[in-house]
Amino acid sequence: MRLGTSGRGERGSLPVPIGRIELAGLVVLLAAGPAPVLLQLVSSVGHSWFWPDLAPSAWSWRAWRYAVSPEAGIPGALFNSLMIAIVVATLAVTVALPAARALALYALPGRRWLHFMLMLPLLAPPLALTMGMHVLFLRYGLADTLTGVVIVHLVPSVPYATMVLTASLARVDIRLEAQARTLGATPVRVWRHVTLPLIRSGVATAFGFAFLISWSQYLTTLIIGGGQVLTLPLVLVAFQQSGDESVSSVLSLIFLAPAVLILTMVGRWMVLPDNERGVGRERDQVS
Amino acid sequence: MKEIRFREVGLLLWLLFIPGGIACERSSPGNRAVDLDPARLTAMSWAEVESLPRGTTVNFAMWAGDETRNRYFRGALTDELRRRYGVELRVVPLGDGAEAITRLLNEKAVGKSRGGSIDMIWINGENFGTARQGGVLWGPFAAVLPNLTRYPAEASWRDFGTPIEGYEAPWQRAHFVLAWDSARFPTPPTTIPELIDWIRANPGRFTYAAPPDFTGSVFLRHLLYHFGGGAEKFQSGFDEALFQTAAARVIELLREIRPFLWRRGETYPANPREVDRLFANREIDFTMSYGPSFASERIARGEFPLTARTFVFSTGTIGNYSYLAIPFNAANPAGALVVINHLMSFDSLIDQSRILGSVFPLDPERLTELERSQVTGLERGPATLSIEELTRHLLPEPDYRYIDRLEREWREKVPQP
Repeated sequence: MRLGTSGRGERGSLPVPIGRIELAGLVVLLAAGPAPVLLQLVSSVGHSWFWPDLAPSAWSWRAWRYAVSPEAGIPGALFNSLMIAIVVATLAVTVALPAARALALYALPGRRWLHFMLMLPLLAPPLALTMGMHVLFLRYGLADTLTGVVIVHLVPSVPYATMVLTASLARVDIRLEAQARTLGATPVRVWRHVTLPLIRSGVATAFGFAFLISWSQYLTTLIIGGGQVLTLPLVLVAFQQSGDESVSSVLSLIFLAPAVLILTMVGRWMVLPDNERGVGRERDQVS
Repeated sequence: MKEIRFREVGLLLWLLFIPGGIACERSSPGNRAVDLDPARLTAMSWAEVESLPRGTTVNFAMWAGDETRNRYFRGALTDELRRRYGVELRVVPLGDGAEAITRLLNEKAVGKSRGGSIDMIWINGENFGTARQGGVLWGPFAAVLPNLTRYPAEASWRDFGTPIEGYEAPWQRAHFVLAWDSARFPTPPTTIPELIDWIRANPGRFTYAAPPDFTGSVFLRHLLYHFGGGAEKFQSGFDEALFQTAAARVIELLREIRPFLWRRGETYPANPREVDRLFANREIDFTMSYGPSFASERIARGEFPLTARTFVFSTGTIGNYSYLAIPFNAANPAGALVVINHLMSFDSLIDQSRILGSVFPLDPERLTELERSQVTGLERGPATLSIEELTRHLLPEPDYRYIDRLEREWREKVPQP
């Protein structure tokens, strides 16, 4: 009962020697993912690394020592990044859910246009958009504040969350909700025991996306936060611009860690399709 | 399964409340700041000004992408300012200065004229020009700073052609140098014709950052001076005819040597860091910088070979000053004044030269014998030229209009075959 069978359920898995193209896909994926991370690890402790040497000729903990020193301000930036991303992801999903329901479940007139309008913030160049928002935020006293940064992060993350949740809801047979209601379940119970289990992977994916979008924001945080709200990308980009590769590598690794953590947390709900993960069981409980 | 979900939701909700707390804490930056009208400054003694900001915070917007710099500013300097003036320094990391100015222009546009989040800013050249045009600087203030008198007088005249008029105070000095690896060849070409001959004789071993990158652009200006008959000609305003003839020869030369550049000049590095990397990886033989001690720093970080050295052209290389200014809506201008004056003091500048490797910017004529010996006694890195050597080979920047035009000429005529 390894990955294959437990996930695929009664439909079963293919026998293990995988196809050549699938193998190639996996190799490319590994090269694109873990390989650069390993390089970063080496570069973070490599002191002199000149082409064409395969490995650095000297090693040093300098970059790591700096990263943990109080002058680097990493813990504060990490904390801010994490808090902002969690709040943004939670709000994005909260806002996106009703919108996604409207788009996925109702035959609204001009639904395609509505969908397009929702995606508009993703098409506009972020710099222009944020500059405009800065003026607006100044008027309402949101510039240089944490709240302002959260709002500006919501601009790109809400459309993505909506997109994911719409797709997820569209696949669901929503009449199950009505069924539960006729059986006497309160709206809250319906939500908890019917709808949420049905779209759980969609919610998790939307949350994960929104988290990552907020996590990687640089320009918007810089302009709206004005350097007062210090997040990890702000610290990281400054070092990348200065070409200090060891410190950049350390910061990149620190940057990577919490994102990976959160993704593994929500990831177990993200990867597998909804219908095969205990939905049937919960449905039984309701009825 | 269900229990786990609820615990996680609970955790999320709990986490939601923490940022609220931070937001409240953050909402009063520069607490107990001292507002000050620049017009009142002249009537006050410096001792009075110095006593004003005790117990306040000063937000300093600067580039914060360098380990030694960050350690110094957030460590030793912060401690010293706290001890001496009771002022708390906070470094606000703000990209390249242009963003900070744009933000100020926005704040001006919506009428946020008090309680700004930045008290002082590191600035020069075009950003200063933009800021002055937009009227987003506080001042004039430079004349009241006691330490201004020890800078060379010309540092307070013009910043890339924009009259300074007391709206910024000189701080650090930049000076263009080139670096080569003395292990690869013992002596570098030290005149522009020699360098051009060298490029022709060693195809693929030279390149420069594509203008409008700052460093690539200043390299071009040396060629402009070379073909235009010297730096002096480019100091007083913009001369169209002079520009036309000199720029035409610069462009002609750059097009001619293009096939001899790295990757046959089909592509150019985007910034000096990339040039540095090519140099470190032995793909090219020269790199350049506005920071005279950059090669020593990179040797210390293990990024350049131990044998890297710097040089200047025998006809001189271009240098400029960078400045400190106060935004029009600074919440704590008095605090900014005190910090700026401190950063311009002899003792602090000696520290900065020692720790950050910056060029010592004060006028040697205005130093005491003892101070002069302290300056000459500064330990430089293995690749850094002496201050006398640099001072002897200093050329001024041209009027900023030449810079813009030359960059445009380059963009239109050089990269395409």
